[in-house]
Amino acid sequence: MNGSVFDNMAPNAKRSFVVSAVLAAIATVLYLFCVQPAEDQLTKTKAELSDLQDRQARMNNDLKSASTIKKDLEELEAQLKPYQEAMLVPLLESYAMRAKSILDPLAIGAGLDNVEYSREPFRALPLPKPMPRQLHTRAAIKVSATGSYQNAVSFLLRLEKELPLVSLQQFDVIAQAKPERQSLTFVLEWPAKGGLTRK
Amino acid sequence: MKASSVHLNLLKPGELRSSSPIRLRVMLPIGAILACAGLLLWWGMLFTQLLMTKAQAQGIAGDIAAKEKEHAEAIQQRDLARELKLQLEQLDYYKAGVRSVGDDLSKLAEVVPLRVQLKELHFSPPKAQILQPPGAKIPLFGPTENVETQKLVIAGLTTKETPVVSLMESLETGFEGLITRERKINSFKQDAAEAEGRKLLSFEIEYTMPERRFAK
Repeated sequence: MNGSVFDNMAPNAKRSFVVSAVLAAIATVLYLFCVQPAEDQLTKTKAELSDLQDRQARMNNDLKSASTIKKDLEELEAQLKPYQEAMLVPLLESYAMRAKSILDPLAIGAGLDNVEYSREPFRALPLPKPMPRQLHTRAAIKVSATGSYQNAVSFLLRLEKELPLVSLQQFDVIAQAKPERQSLTFVLEWPAKGGLTRK
Repeated sequence: MKASSVHLNLLKPGELRSSSPIRLRVMLPIGAILACAGLLLWWGMLFTQLLMTKAQAQGIAGDIAAKEKEHAEAIQQRDLARELKLQLEQLDYYKAGVRSVGDDLSKLAEVVPLRVQLKELHFSPPKAQILQPPGAKIPLFGPTENVETQKLVIAGLTTKETPVVSLMESLETGFEGLITRERKINSFKQDAAEAEGRKLLSFEIEYTMPERRFAK
């Protein structure tokens, strides 16, 4: 400011000008150090509140649907039960020995002789989308035996009755000199646990 | 004589007063005071609003914290349900592909004519699954196809063609679980084996089996 103008001002005007300048400075300080930070903090807090409200709403929705999920889970477990019961699990790391423990009574009942069990390559099942974490596979066990064609059919009929989820993948009958001692081969499939798609 | 009027201006420029009733030296401090008061009021409103927002946020945060455990369980259950659903879907694919042919194989023995001696009956092995396609860096988790087809080969000996024709005719109906109508005669020829002083004839028929469809 031009000093001469200020010097030429009446004392009342000078006082008024100084008071106004001081008040303007106070107003600036108030705005910069009180209003502006409070506004910034309010914006931030409002954003936080909005996030929390969204989270709370999601949480409440999840909790609201929890009872339905629980019911679904029970239904799913009930639907999975027959598969879990039918699943081939290794006996001392051996799938063939587990199959033997299950199939021996049926093979003996059907009149098959010289029954031998061995593991065949497992086959993968098609994948649902998205993929489950736990995959399942088609565990294949080869059963070689001797017996008549009727014995073989009897074995298959018992198998289908007792183990409806076991499937016949391959079947071979090769005639031998004695009809009651044909060479019989079955490749049977079970559902079994496969690998994991992720950890 | 007409008297001339003299106008003396004895005021300095700084002592000059405006003719306006609104005086700047009064209005300026009033304006500044009002501005300060306005700012204080604004700040007060903001501060109150801030306190209220913080209190509301704290309340919600407390509510979230209280429900955290229950929510984590619900999420876990939801994820488990999702996983089990997918597992069930894959197992349903398996179930859809289960082959049950005991009854058909049982009936087969009944329709074989007297003059036919079966030497061999077998299902061809299913096509190998390619889980490591050429160029792929990592193996696939599952096959790209969900359908498998196999053949049923029936081979035997006979004395003439009519029992074989009869066998094929018998297999045309009632064996839908085991074979389709698609068939191929792989061979029909004279065999080295003899019966009743006659050379026997060997035959091999190949039937396409119904598809195993591993899908819902």
